[in-house]
Amino acid sequence: MQNSTARAYESSSSSGNGSNDVGDFECNICFELAQDPIVTLCGHLYCWPCLYRWLRLHSKSHECPVCKALIQEEKLVPLYGRGRTSTDPRSKPVPGVEIPRRPAGQRPETAPPPESNTFPNPPGFGLMGGFFPGATTSFGNFTMSAGFGGLFPSLFSFQFHGFPGPTAFGTTPNYPFGYPPAYRGAHVHNAAQPNQSQADNNLKFMFLLVGFLVFLYLFGY
Amino acid sequence: MTTSSASSRKTLSKIACNRLQKELVEWQVNPPAGFKHKVTDNLQRWIIEVNGAPGTLYDNETYQLQVDFPEHYPMEAPQVIFVPPAPLHPHIYSNGHICLDILYDSWSPAMTVSSICMSILSMLSSSPAKQRPEDNDRYVKNCRNGRSPKETRWWFHDDKV
Repeated sequence: MQNSTARAYESSSSSGNGSNDVGDFECNICFELAQDPIVTLCGHLYCWPCLYRWLRLHSKSHECPVCKALIQEEKLVPLYGRGRTSTDPRSKPVPGVEIPRRPAGQRPETAPPPESNTFPNPPGFGLMGGFFPGATTSFGNFTMSAGFGGLFPSLFSFQFHGFPGPTAFGTTPNYPFGYPPAYRGAHVHNAAQPNQSQADNNLKFMFLLVGFLVFLYLFGY
Repeated sequence: MTTSSASSRKTLSKIACNRLQKELVEWQVNPPAGFKHKVTDNLQRWIIEVNGAPGTLYDNETYQLQVDFPEHYPMEAPQVIFVPPAPLHPHIYSNGHICLDILYDSWSPAMTVSSICMSILSMLSSSPAKQRPEDNDRYVKNCRNGRSPKETRWWFHDDKV
């Protein structure tokens, strides 16, 4: 899908239409659709291998080939589009020339979570905090429910799959920096996903057993 | 033809080939005013006809540029010379070599044949007098066995012409 659109772009640009939009995304050195695109502070777009080869192997100065502005490699900005990874065969270096990894983007901190979070996450309780009140009232005994605390997260986890967090983002491809979208807490369950259904069943059974014991205990009173 | 330099013997790299094809297509769609590319099947050597700009010393005169591309174009500059007879100009030697910084030290891979042509026409147009460089004879004698102007150590002293 992505490959075919890229090819369509290229063929339309090579058809020589003077005023095509694709030119906006062509490398200023090889004139192809930029591979591993990187942008200078002066705004000029290059393939990372092209710019690297020019700056390190051919040029005597560190100037932007288009406007001669000084280039500092640590201030180059990579462009991360959707999908395509850096394993594109066309980005393979020229034999004998080792092209290092493209400089990474500067990443400011994530925005703080909004005040009125739809899933309240009070400190100390963790993700399951919201569910405790229900559990405690039904038992009417807080000390008992505290004892169940360890069970609750995995017991309720299957309900969480309905939330937008885990399902919507579970299939998203890799994030270049390993910072998934900021649904704090929710993605913890993604990590614990494998063979969880079996664990759920076991725990449900245990919960029933414990509930039964509690009933016996209350009856005994 | 004129002497072929060492730079034109090695065949073009794939990157160079692709870029030259793009430049050629762009040239055909939008050629620089006053220039005509003479069609050949040789992508590595372009012969370009230059017409002196109207109202300048070279009005109604026609010259030929020979552009040879190195293996690693555009990382390396092409070799650009006038096919003799070269225009009379304080920065153009009688053997066709051109003293123009962008062809040597100031080359940038973002430049194109088209932009080189514009620079050369601008250089011609701003000429104050039809004359050879002061050191023409000495220089041409030094270049006798077909030396490329890219091997010359140029000294760019005059930014007015």
